[in-house]
Amino acid sequence: MTDEFDAFDAFDAEIMTGLRGLHARVDPPPPGMAEQMLLAMAVAGLDAELASLREDRLAGSGARAAEHARTISFDAASLTVMVTLVELDDGRVRLDGWLAPAAPLRVELRLPGANRRSSLVTTADVAGRFVFAAVPRGLVWLVVHREGATIVTPTVSL
Amino acid sequence: MNRSPDVVRRAERLADCLRRAREGEIAALDEVVRELNPLLWNVARAQGLDSAAAYDVVQTTWVELLRRLDEIRSPGSLTAWLVSATRREAWRAGRSGRRVVGGLEPTELADAAPGPDEGLVTGERDRALWGHFRRLSPRCQELLRIVAFVDRPDYTLVSEALGMPHGSIGPTRGRCLAKLRGLLLADPLWSAR
Repeated sequence: MTDEFDAFDAFDAEIMTGLRGLHARVDPPPPGMAEQMLLAMAVAGLDAELASLREDRLAGSGARAAEHARTISFDAASLTVMVTLVELDDGRVRLDGWLAPAAPLRVELRLPGANRRSSLVTTADVAGRFVFAAVPRGLVWLVVHREGATIVTPTVSL
Repeated sequence: MNRSPDVVRRAERLADCLRRAREGEIAALDEVVRELNPLLWNVARAQGLDSAAAYDVVQTTWVELLRRLDEIRSPGSLTAWLVSATRREAWRAGRSGRRVVGGLEPTELADAAPGPDEGLVTGERDRALWGHFRRLSPRCQELLRIVAFVDRPDYTLVSEALGMPHGSIGPTRGRCLAKLRGLLLADPLWSAR
C-alpha cells in the first residue's frame, strides 16, 4: 500500500492539525519565551549592555497588602537602575525609577502590544528620577540611552 | 493547515514584516517572533535537545536573523530560513555533547527527562494519534512534528530545508505522512467515527 504521492487531502490536514495540537499541549515553549527572545534581539540589535538583576523584593507590611510595593534593582557596569512598582486601583502599575549615578538620561519602557512592542519614553530629572505613571501589566523592560552606551534591563513581569 | 485566506494573509504579513525590518524597522520583527517562535521551539526539540538547550538554540537563531536579514533570498523564504538555521544550530549544540535528550525512540521517551509530558494526551483519538506517531522512525517524527507547525503555503520550502526535496510533504502526501495515515486508518479508535 503506497499512497505517498497522492494529493494531500482533508484527512492529511486533520492529521497535521492533530499533531500540531498534541505537540503544543505536550511540549509547549516555556511561558514568556517569545518576549525573552525579543529582549535578546533588542540587546543584540542595540549593541547594548544587559544589566543584571540585583534584587527583586516586596516591601510593605502584610497587613496592608494593597499598598505593598515591589522594589527591583539592576546593575550595569557603570549604572544602577532602581524601580519601585505600586499597583494602581485600575490594575495598572505605577513605576518610579532612579538612576545612579544621577543623570538626565532618556529612559524607555518597552511594553507588550497586540502584535508588536510599543514603548513609553521619558527623561530622568537631574536627580536621576523618572516616572511612568500608569503601565499596563505584562512583561516589560527598560532601555536607558546615554551617549555611547545603551543599557537594557532583563524583563520584569508586572 | 489549509489554504484559508487567514493562512495566506499570514504568509504575506510575515513577508511584509521582513521587508520592513530590512528597511530598518526592526520592531517589525516582533510579529515574526511571536508567530514563529513555537515553530522554532519545535524544530529544536524535535532534534532531541532538552528544554534549556532548545531555548538557547532558538535564541541564537533569532539573534542570527537580525544579523543576516539581508541574506534571506526572498521574504517568502523566511520560514524555511529560520527552520534551517534552528536545525543547524541545534545540530551544533547536540554535537557539543551537552543536554541532549536521548533519541526519539518511544521506549526511551518515558525515561527521558525532561521530555514531553505525555500525561497531557487525553482522549482516545489523541492517544491513538500520539501512539502511532511515536512509533514512526525518528526521522519521520522530526519531519512531521516540524511541518505540523508550518502553514501549507510553506510546506514545500520547509521540506527542502529539511533535506527532503521531492514532495516529502507538500502538494503530495509524502512517505512519513502516508505511513502515519495508514496506521491511523487501520486503527478502529481513529477511523471509526
